[in-house]
Amino acid sequence: MRKFITVLKFELKEYLGNKTFMVLTAILAILGVALLFLPRFVDMSGMTGVTVVGGGSAETETTPEEEQELFLYLDKAGVVQTDILEQIFPEAEWQTAADETEIRTAVEAQEAKAGFVVTAPAEYEYYVFNKTMSDQNTARFDQAMKIFYRMDYCAKSGWNLEEITAMYDVPVTVTENVLNKDTESNYWYSYFLIILVFMLIVYYGQMIAVSVTNEKSNRAIEVLVTSTSPNSLLFGKVIAGAIAGVFQMGVLLGAVLIAYQVNREQWGGMLDRILYIPGDVLLAFAFFGLGGYLFYAFLYGAMGALVSKTEDISKSVSGLMVVIMAVYFFSLLQLTNIDGSVIKILSFLPISSYSTMFARIAMGTVAAWEIIVSFLILVVSIGAAGIVGAKIYRMGTLRYGNPIKITTALKALKKNA
Amino acid sequence: MRLEVKEIRKSFGEKEVLHGVSFQVDSGSALGLLGRNGAGKTTTIRILMDVFHADSGEICLDGRKFVPSKQQIGYLPEERGLYPKRTVMDQMLYLAALRGMKSTDAKKSAEKWLARLEVSEYASRKLETLSKGNQQKVQLAATLVCDPEIVILDEPFSGLDPVNSQILKDVVNELIAGGKLVIFSSHQMSYVEEFCDNIAVIDHGQVVLAGELKEIKKEYGKNRLMLAAENYSLEQLAEKTEREWSNLVSVSGRKKEFLILELKEGADRRGFMEKLVDSDVTVEKFGRYEPSLNDIFVSKVGEEE
Repeated sequence: MRKFITVLKFELKEYLGNKTFMVLTAILAILGVALLFLPRFVDMSGMTGVTVVGGGSAETETTPEEEQELFLYLDKAGVVQTDILEQIFPEAEWQTAADETEIRTAVEAQEAKAGFVVTAPAEYEYYVFNKTMSDQNTARFDQAMKIFYRMDYCAKSGWNLEEITAMYDVPVTVTENVLNKDTESNYWYSYFLIILVFMLIVYYGQMIAVSVTNEKSNRAIEVLVTSTSPNSLLFGKVIAGAIAGVFQMGVLLGAVLIAYQVNREQWGGMLDRILYIPGDVLLAFAFFGLGGYLFYAFLYGAMGALVSKTEDISKSVSGLMVVIMAVYFFSLLQLTNIDGSVIKILSFLPISSYSTMFARIAMGTVAAWEIIVSFLILVVSIGAAGIVGAKIYRMGTLRYGNPIKITTALKALKKNA
Repeated sequence: MRLEVKEIRKSFGEKEVLHGVSFQVDSGSALGLLGRNGAGKTTTIRILMDVFHADSGEICLDGRKFVPSKQQIGYLPEERGLYPKRTVMDQMLYLAALRGMKSTDAKKSAEKWLARLEVSEYASRKLETLSKGNQQKVQLAATLVCDPEIVILDEPFSGLDPVNSQILKDVVNELIAGGKLVIFSSHQMSYVEEFCDNIAVIDHGQVVLAGELKEIKKEYGKNRLMLAAENYSLEQLAEKTEREWSNLVSVSGRKKEFLILELKEGADRRGFMEKLVDSDVTVEKFGRYEPSLNDIFVSKVGEEE
């Protein structure tokens, strides 16, 4: 245990004493926080729908007149009502044009944002200089045209449009009483956290593998394995990598979550679905996410021992990457069927419980015994991965040259058992 | 303390690389493990250090099974290296701690060995910034930082210039004088000759010669004489020997300054000396020939390295 602590401290110093690591952590945290404080200092009302007034309090957006964009229309059918257009296009200043040429000329000269020529009660032409991917003008003008058509039709038929509209669009009041999980609102932060733990596993796993391989490539490994047990070495190394990863991710996530809490009003709650995570979900994520991360970290460590050059690591970890990627995609796909049997099975497997059991806790129905059993399986698997990883690490010592296949390594372990 | 290696055998796959290696070494003395490249020296050392497991045979320390993890061993492997990005002191303390030293003792010991090996000034420098020779000295300091009872050095002189080699020689001599049990392998016979009381020559996985170096030299020098003359070149002297004294001696070798002659069966040194006195040869050098370790090595394992 003492030697494990010695290795852990030495390896941890490697991460935490690394200026690049610490500066990167600080820069990313500052960037995240700065981004979330942005609505306090910059007008992001176009995105958030909230404008910041004076000392930072938020108000619903109203577009100042000087920022309004010019839209032209020509009403050949005699149905257009400007006040309706102004309601549907609040950012637009509407002007009538004398003919189509005026509209074309103004749009071409980019004096007008767009132009509409209404040729019949349910027919119009649209003029725009460059049509962007996000152009919603025709959709909104369609909506306006439908209203004009109804108004025109009702007027001609002698009906009261307001009565008919009130009848069709009767407001329904709903009070939701979600007794267990609100899958819809939990979906996005589950999605976000699964991506986060996936990145954690892949990024830090790779760092751990590199750290193990480096000891082979710089030939320090022979001194190390003759000085202490491979278990102390691999466990110390992996857990140091895990602590460094959790530290970095914790600082980033913590900074971002706190910054969002502070600026939630300014964001108009826009990022709630990702960053407004309930405490119990975060707790489940901490246990299962960390467990899965440790499980894979040991396997990454073992894979690192199978090669003696860092450039061979990608070859060595490719099999592991396939498993991680498959779990990642399955987990995300199964989020829409959170109580299905596939995700239930995956939530008990140590290769996938880190994301699937956590997602079930966040979004689905899961019994306490299932959580306990799944977590115990994960803990036992971490121990097993650590012991097998240490054996592979020990076996890989002094095997320089071509990368060792995992099947060859396992056969060698079986032979020596 | 006596370390005994008994009948060690080891195979890699189908190939047996050690065929029953045996030797022994006591505290306060050094054993030189000699052999050509691939002879099995490093494999033997790695088995000693439990890096590899032997297929059969045993290693005993004072008659009991030798367990490396229970001994304080200073091991300098052939494939050596430390952490290039870490400071010298950092890794010295780390290795000392891994070998069970307390941090205060480790610090004192690290300072002592860095000073002894004349690399104290680099204690706070990253290893990668040091020259190869200084890195080698740091590695040796890291080997000795735990104040080991047993010191195993695999090719310790490789990469060292003559000045640093001298420092290392002095250190090894101090270790021996301090009662440590030292095993080291080397291709450089002159170093082995300098501090090893015992040698074990390994060839193709087996010990072909082992024992006390003095005795081995005596045995190899038995019936061999050296001869040089003032009035004959070595070539002329060899011809004369073959022509006139072939019933007493034969020329078995030639060094830069003398011939090596081997007494024939029934002949003795005194008889040959009388013949020499009666001849016209003005003797410059005559006496019993004591072979160098290199000669013994070459004669035992073949062509010179």
